Amino acid sequence: MIELSPTATEDEVAAATERWLHENLPPSWLKAVLDDDRTVVAAHLADADGMRRWFATLGDAGLATPTWPREYGGLDLSAEQAAAVADVLMRYRANRPMDDFIGLTLTGPTVLAHGTPEQKERYLRPIARGEERWCQLFSEPGAGSDLAALSTRAVRQEDGTWRVDGQKVWNSFAHIADRGLLMARTSPEKPKHHGISYFLVDMRTPGLEVRPLKQMTGDAEFNEVFLTDVVLPADALLGEVDGGWAVAITTLMQERNGLSGRPAVGPGVADDLARRAAAAGTWADPVLRDRLLAMLVEERVLQMTTVRASVASGRAMAGAEGSIRKLVSSGLEETAGSLAAEVEPVTALGWPQGAPLPAAAYEFLAMKQTSIAGGTSEIQRTIIAERLLGLPKDPDPEKDLPFSQRSRA
Amino acid sequence: MEFTWTPEQLDLRSSTRRLLETRAPLARTRELAEAGQRRDEAAWSAMTQQAGLLALGVPEEHGGAGGSRVEQSLVFEEAGRVLLGGPLLPTVLAIEALLAAGDDAALEEHLPGLVEGERTATLAVLGSTGRWRPSSPTTVAARSGDGAVLSGTEELVLDGADADLLLVLARAEGGPTLYAVPRDAEGVTVERLDVLDLTRPMARLHLAAVPARPLGLTGGGAGVVERVHRAAAVLVAAEQVGAMDTLVARTAEYARTRRAFGRPIGAFQAVKHRLADMAVQLEMSRSAAAWAAFQDPGSADEAFGAAVAASYCGEAFLQAAKDTIQLHGGVGFTWEHDAHLFLRRARAAATLTGPPSEHRAALVPLVLPDLVAPGHTEVPS
Repeated sequence: MIELSPTATEDEVAAATERWLHENLPPSWLKAVLDDDRTVVAAHLADADGMRRWFATLGDAGLATPTWPREYGGLDLSAEQAAAVADVLMRYRANRPMDDFIGLTLTGPTVLAHGTPEQKERYLRPIARGEERWCQLFSEPGAGSDLAALSTRAVRQEDGTWRVDGQKVWNSFAHIADRGLLMARTSPEKPKHHGISYFLVDMRTPGLEVRPLKQMTGDAEFNEVFLTDVVLPADALLGEVDGGWAVAITTLMQERNGLSGRPAVGPGVADDLARRAAAAGTWADPVLRDRLLAMLVEERVLQMTTVRASVASGRAMAGAEGSIRKLVSSGLEETAGSLAAEVEPVTALGWPQGAPLPAAAYEFLAMKQTSIAGGTSEIQRTIIAERLLGLPKDPDPEKDLPFSQRSRA
Repeated sequence: MEFTWTPEQLDLRSSTRRLLETRAPLARTRELAEAGQRRDEAAWSAMTQQAGLLALGVPEEHGGAGGSRVEQSLVFEEAGRVLLGGPLLPTVLAIEALLAAGDDAALEEHLPGLVEGERTATLAVLGSTGRWRPSSPTTVAARSGDGAVLSGTEELVLDGADADLLLVLARAEGGPTLYAVPRDAEGVTVERLDVLDLTRPMARLHLAAVPARPLGLTGGGAGVVERVHRAAAVLVAAEQVGAMDTLVARTAEYARTRRAFGRPIGAFQAVKHRLADMAVQLEMSRSAAAWAAFQDPGSADEAFGAAVAASYCGEAFLQAAKDTIQLHGGVGFTWEHDAHLFLRRARAAATLTGPPSEHRAALVPLVLPDLVAPGHTEVPS
């Protein structure tokens, strides 16, 4: 495990991480990064066995999960120190991939907050070492923004095990995940928030079937998951019976505090789009140019807001800053996708048969994704209006009704 | 470091807020605006002689209090909250111009009276186009004996009918040059205007062979005015944040208390979500304005910060003013309601500091230097 003082500055953390990488990264990888030889780096990233070994090394050093306690494979670092680590890892392409986001960012903190010592022992280290991949089994066809309306049932058997039946949807990486975070209804006679429990599920359990969902981009990275007579052991329960909503809040809060790099103001997506416009000849259009620059301004102002939140964390925007940033950043993604198709109009509309989707077409088709995923923009606006401005809460006439008596979605 | 205010700076913010709330609240701004008065004399002397607000940003060797743009921007944010108008902004910008011109004799002559609030000043730098074009002023300086005489028309001169000292940018043989002209000099004709922004009196100035003294180097005026333009962008952005903060707070309060269909209107998502968007743009503007204020005056970072803030905050404030009226319904459209004072200020401020699209174009050489193409990003003269 890498040695770092808890009081180390961000620059000291970054330097120590870099030193460690120079000592531990496979020499040919290190050389390729330093020489900016992208082909060799790409070859390393594509080598599954090599990457498995690398993630184990990274995890044993504590660098994959630097904010976790040392006893579970972390380094006890602060969020700011961890961001410095993430920055350096990203620069060397030595970071964990997006596929591991749920385990690292959602499962870890949730298990740390609510798990038994046995659960922490069992689940955390394999995440830190990249041995187990996780997915989230929350949303359902009848429970999207209104997540607490979920109806997947978990019934306790006489032997203490749980039998689960239901259907989940929009489950990113479920088709390649080893384990899942599952919310299910255990007490339908209680009001909807009070009858939910939270489980840690082995995705290979019999009765659990994953079906890929093809998105409008043509990708199929998320899935539907069907649970039919799935039997879970008693110790799959995380937290209290019927106490799942509180556990879920921990998970949902983490979604906005994921490990990103150090907050900073610098070139972003808009700069790339401007350069692509110059290459495609569309930069000459003064109206398009102004729209690209307006996006650039908004993107920089969002970066400034992220820096402000990191400096004045918790004070400035009173619990709504995650929602503010999510709302603005989804808006920017939509703007970027829209603009991409105008910046490169020729490639966005037609491309050689069988060739992969060009960036402009992909970005255009994917632009609405983040306005919906992880809490729609409407939900974010409601949160901002209620928490920041103190406006009345949206009424939910069924909030205190027993779940079993509610109207159906 | 950005967004790290010292305890002294935070004290300055709260003492300025208290001062303005008692001596120059929004209700007083309205009275002055309706009476066509440029300032409340007692409030002005409290702000200047007692609180020393004009000494902020002025180096100590020139009788100032030192401090930086950060302090100034905190004061302007508070001023924006109550829509304080009158001589504050033009005098601060004129002080900025005098300092940037670096003319010792002029500094000695003018600065003490301005910093003390005994005299006021303004800038006539927009020429007859009303736009910042420091490299091509419209007023002309002709040589006359040892000095110069100025002739031309200057539009949108803030406080131009009452300020004691006019700083005029004019075309001289050696290039654009800044001149000092007493307002009561012979040949100056002041035409008081009726104005959109009722809190900021403006005048059109006619200069007919007015004797004037150059400030600093001949031909150095464009650089000075560019520097002042950036200061204006940064300080006006702070002012816009303060004004938006008032709008969001008041509109949210109205949405919590005004009832319709058996509930507060703030319970309806159509109202809630519009208010949420206002709050988001306020928080974003706050970040942009503060970021700009933390950059060193005259640096490329400041030029970047000023352009970003001017582009973002100007449009956000205008939108917030429109949304405020919409969310107040009929009462928001009345003369009695304060909303129109904000709407007027929002429009005027976004024009006085230059259109947002120009600030965006100015970003190209700063952040995308490889994409600068002749004729694409240069400001038309």
